[in-house]
Amino acid sequence: MSSWRSLILRIGDKCPEYGSSSDFKEHIETCFGVLRRELEHSANDIIDFLLQCAEQLPHKIPLYGTVVGLLNLENEDVGRKIVENIQINFQNALDSESCDRIRILMRLLTSMMCSKVLQPVSLVVVFETLLSSAATTVDEEKGNPSWQARGDFYVACILSCLPWGGSEFFEQVPDEIERVMVGIEAYLSIRRHNSDTGLSFFDDDDESGKGSSEKDFLEDLWDRIQVLSSTGWKLDSVPRPHLSFEAQLVAGKSHEFGPINAPDQPEPLSQLSGVPYGKQKHHAELKYPQRIRRLNIFPASKTEDMQPIDRFIVEEYLLDVLLFLNGCRKECASYMVGLPVPFRYEYLMAETIFSQLLLLPQPPFKPIYYTLVIMDLCKALPGAFPAVVAGAVRALFEKIADLDMECRTRLILWFSHHLSNFQFIWPWEEWAYVLDLPKWAPQRVFVQEVLEREVRLSYWDKVKQSVENAPALEELLPPKGSPNFNYSMEEGKERTEQHALSAELSNKVKGRQTAREIISWVEESVLPHHGLEVTLTMVVQTLLDIGSKSFTHLITVLERYGQVIARICHDQDKQIMLIAEVSSYWKNNAQMTAITIDRMMGYRLISNLAIVRWVFSSANIEQFHTSDRPWEVLRNAVSKTYNRISDLRKEILSLQKNVLSAEEAATKAKAELDAAESKLTLVDGEPVLGENPAKMKPLKSNAEKTKEEEISVRDSLEAKEALLARALDENEALFLSLYQNFSNVLMERLPEDSKAQTLRALKSIQADEMVVDLDESSEMDVDNENGRPKKSQSNGEKASKVHNVGDKEQWCLSTLGYVKAFSRQYASEIWPHIEKLDAEIFSENVHPLFLKAVYSGLRRPVSEVSSS
Amino acid sequence: MASLFKDPSKLSAYRDRRFSGTQEEFERALQTSTTVYIGNMSFYTTEEQVYELFSRAGEIKKIIMGLDKNTKTPCGFCFVLYYSREDTEDAVKYISGTILDDRPIRVDFDWGFQEGRQWGRGRSGGQVRDEYRTDYDPDILSLGGYGKLVQRELEQRQLVDYGTGSLGSFPPVMTPYYGRHGGSHGHGGYHRHGRDYHRKRHRDDDRHTNDSSRRTLDHESRRNSDPDSRPEKNPRFRESGDSDEDEEEYDRKRRS
Repeated sequence: MSSWRSLILRIGDKCPEYGSSSDFKEHIETCFGVLRRELEHSANDIIDFLLQCAEQLPHKIPLYGTVVGLLNLENEDVGRKIVENIQINFQNALDSESCDRIRILMRLLTSMMCSKVLQPVSLVVVFETLLSSAATTVDEEKGNPSWQARGDFYVACILSCLPWGGSEFFEQVPDEIERVMVGIEAYLSIRRHNSDTGLSFFDDDDESGKGSSEKDFLEDLWDRIQVLSSTGWKLDSVPRPHLSFEAQLVAGKSHEFGPINAPDQPEPLSQLSGVPYGKQKHHAELKYPQRIRRLNIFPASKTEDMQPIDRFIVEEYLLDVLLFLNGCRKECASYMVGLPVPFRYEYLMAETIFSQLLLLPQPPFKPIYYTLVIMDLCKALPGAFPAVVAGAVRALFEKIADLDMECRTRLILWFSHHLSNFQFIWPWEEWAYVLDLPKWAPQRVFVQEVLEREVRLSYWDKVKQSVENAPALEELLPPKGSPNFNYSMEEGKERTEQHALSAELSNKVKGRQTAREIISWVEESVLPHHGLEVTLTMVVQTLLDIGSKSFTHLITVLERYGQVIARICHDQDKQIMLIAEVSSYWKNNAQMTAITIDRMMGYRLISNLAIVRWVFSSANIEQFHTSDRPWEVLRNAVSKTYNRISDLRKEILSLQKNVLSAEEAATKAKAELDAAESKLTLVDGEPVLGENPAKMKPLKSNAEKTKEEEISVRDSLEAKEALLARALDENEALFLSLYQNFSNVLMERLPEDSKAQTLRALKSIQADEMVVDLDESSEMDVDNENGRPKKSQSNGEKASKVHNVGDKEQWCLSTLGYVKAFSRQYASEIWPHIEKLDAEIFSENVHPLFLKAVYSGLRRPVSEVSSS
Repeated sequence: MASLFKDPSKLSAYRDRRFSGTQEEFERALQTSTTVYIGNMSFYTTEEQVYELFSRAGEIKKIIMGLDKNTKTPCGFCFVLYYSREDTEDAVKYISGTILDDRPIRVDFDWGFQEGRQWGRGRSGGQVRDEYRTDYDPDILSLGGYGKLVQRELEQRQLVDYGTGSLGSFPPVMTPYYGRHGGSHGHGGYHRHGRDYHRKRHRDDDRHTNDSSRRTLDHESRRNSDPDSRPEKNPRFRESGDSDEDEEEYDRKRRS
């Protein structure tokens, strides 16, 4: 990297490029000093790279803005070119709906306005264009309020510019910017309050009405900006390096910003509610997602030395580092800890990362990315960050009963993975009290599932050692994981006829008999004498045992002898027996159960519908609130179905491109052939139609070949489209069955709707019958006196609080939580089938709490529940 | 996303000599591959552990353990095949340099598994790197290949033996999947059976853009050399050269 590049890239960092200096003014002078010398030869390269850096390291924008200001002083053409480049990029970003680019370019423009490169009025025009687009969108007559997410996004972008240039705006164009503020206020008064229902981390927030009374993201930002405005736009979290160069910069030529156009308004809707409205709203929110949902897990005292706006800005910095430095571990960690702010922010940093890890419906990146970031930060700040992370875990554990089901699953996966990277060290004794809770208590289930995942990442004895500070927790460890083979040859165990059959089958496999040979053996010698049930058990158990050594052994058996299983388990009922057999063989090993079922679905030995039916069989239903086991299997089945669909979509997209290019090639070849054919050639002095045969032949064969290729690409496209259509049908059937099953089991177990209209009411049912519980909790106190830490006095209270929720009620709460989680995760795949689901399942005889869970997962207005 | 700090041409600085094509073809293979190579694993790590960790980056198609030619037991490396390229990239980005089974593992793009590559290529039949990493993993070499660490693990764990048992006589099956995709991708289209010479797999240890993972390796091995001592603190994450100053700088800024 040539030195001017590394100076641009590293500006503001403590790095060799800038000696030991950490003074922004010096950095800017050094960088500019080098750039001005290079300007003559590499102006375009410099412009490109500068813009690239500003867009990808947005926390350095004030520095880049100032550098641009100085370049503009030196050579106003460079300044003009930069403004023009940004104008083009900005218009493209608006048209392609690239949210991050829009947001960051507006910040860069603001900073360039501060450095006198851009006329403030030009920027106000940009604001007004976006504001008027936003206002039209939410207008019920002219616009389409289902697209409010876009309007909100534009307005948030305008407000976000103010911390970077508020004082300049109000100094230089006070009337114009005041007009913008009034416009924003008007916008806020006509838009709808954006409730987070269905997306909040804690169930309580959804119900307590916190979602509707609490400020939404835009209202909250507006408040923070109001406070900032009232303090004269003074803030600590945004560096203002241009002030050091103000005397020079005023002499610069301020350029105009060319006009920009907001994208077209979406087509108006005839109705402001109902299915079309819901579908479009869902779509708009996918395009313009809210970046962050705040997770307040630490006491406010941890962040009190910040102004309200500082929180917003530090969050922006952190989210942008996470976004742009994804995949660069070293830089990501060092920018996360080295933000240009003069206060401590590790609690805010933890809250921000956890808010992303748990963000609903999806975080921007896979959860494992945030796992890595948290590990790296623990290593980068060994004195500070691990304790903060531990604090976050404790705080979330406290509220685990209210935590959304999807968030609980992510937390379990994260925590087990995190501990596996730090020698599994955790003060488990703090949580030993969960053993006194009933087996369905969310705290207890959480500990049990974390231990399960730890064992999967490591091994049983290791994890047992890791809980030695609370040895009793061993009770929550999963079983040791060995197979449960019906026909094992242990000494002293009676050998049945089936043992012999199993041994025979095993020998045939060892003797490398083909699947076909084994099928005929089964059909001729086993089935007729022993019946289907025995045959199925014997064959499945034996093959699973042969494949039990490892994942690869399993695959090898399924690949070789899958047909044997398929022959026996040819319909859904038999497939369910097959799954039950897998579950029995691997009853001590949840992971192998899940993997085996997943692979069998992969080989199409079992259908997703069979899996759903098995998950909703009585033995599994019993475990819904005490174990993740059935849910893991269900999650895998739904996600595999979804993966098939998204693979097909990708393949179709690329085939469509191929069709286009094949078409072009064929048309071109045909045109060349036609041209040659219509050409008059002299043969033996006579004019003849057509090029001479030696030239015609390759043209002709080329035209034929390209045409054939076109046809073949078209054929494969059609084939894929047919496959996709089938996959979509399968998907519809899957969700119909899933919701039907959910509805049925909930209907059987939920109390009458008059008794429980909210989750909260459900939780308090047991509280009315508290007498028994009080007894139990006093027993626990006795326990606590027997050598448990004194501290567990408060744990006893906690425990009794959890105790309030009874077996059946917790079952309902957990199951409803999963209904919401599945609906939310696959909302985009469910919306297209909503009419059918409405007609067949959500219409009659469903419990209102079930419907509420579905609707909030789909982010469908709950008010429609009653009307449908 | 992040293009500023990554040099895309440095996809992998080592060149597997078994790859028969040109350098360009090799790079293209790496850029489209859905296979990752995982190195520096414990011999005791099972496929199921690998599955649990690597499925967090995406749905796994296949796992192939690297085996010692002589003992037919795992020898510290494996291949994981994904269905999608994106998941493959995420596995490299997010898992390389993290801990699996107490060891910092390395994860790299691989040009695609093919039959024969599961066998270790070191002279003694194990993973090549084992024989060249005395500097940071003394345990593996001392005591004739099994150190204290291994002995300790032996008390609790057993090596999976791939050589015996019902499936031992089967060659690994590479028939097409009837699951997703149909199994053709990721594999090189040619076979070089019978040419399994002891070739050294060239890897340039310094090529990691992330110096820290190497340092972590150093740290970990020092720790491993004395299994009884547990470090009080987490291993420190360091930048090349000046991270101490950085931390101080950070603290100073926050206090001021």
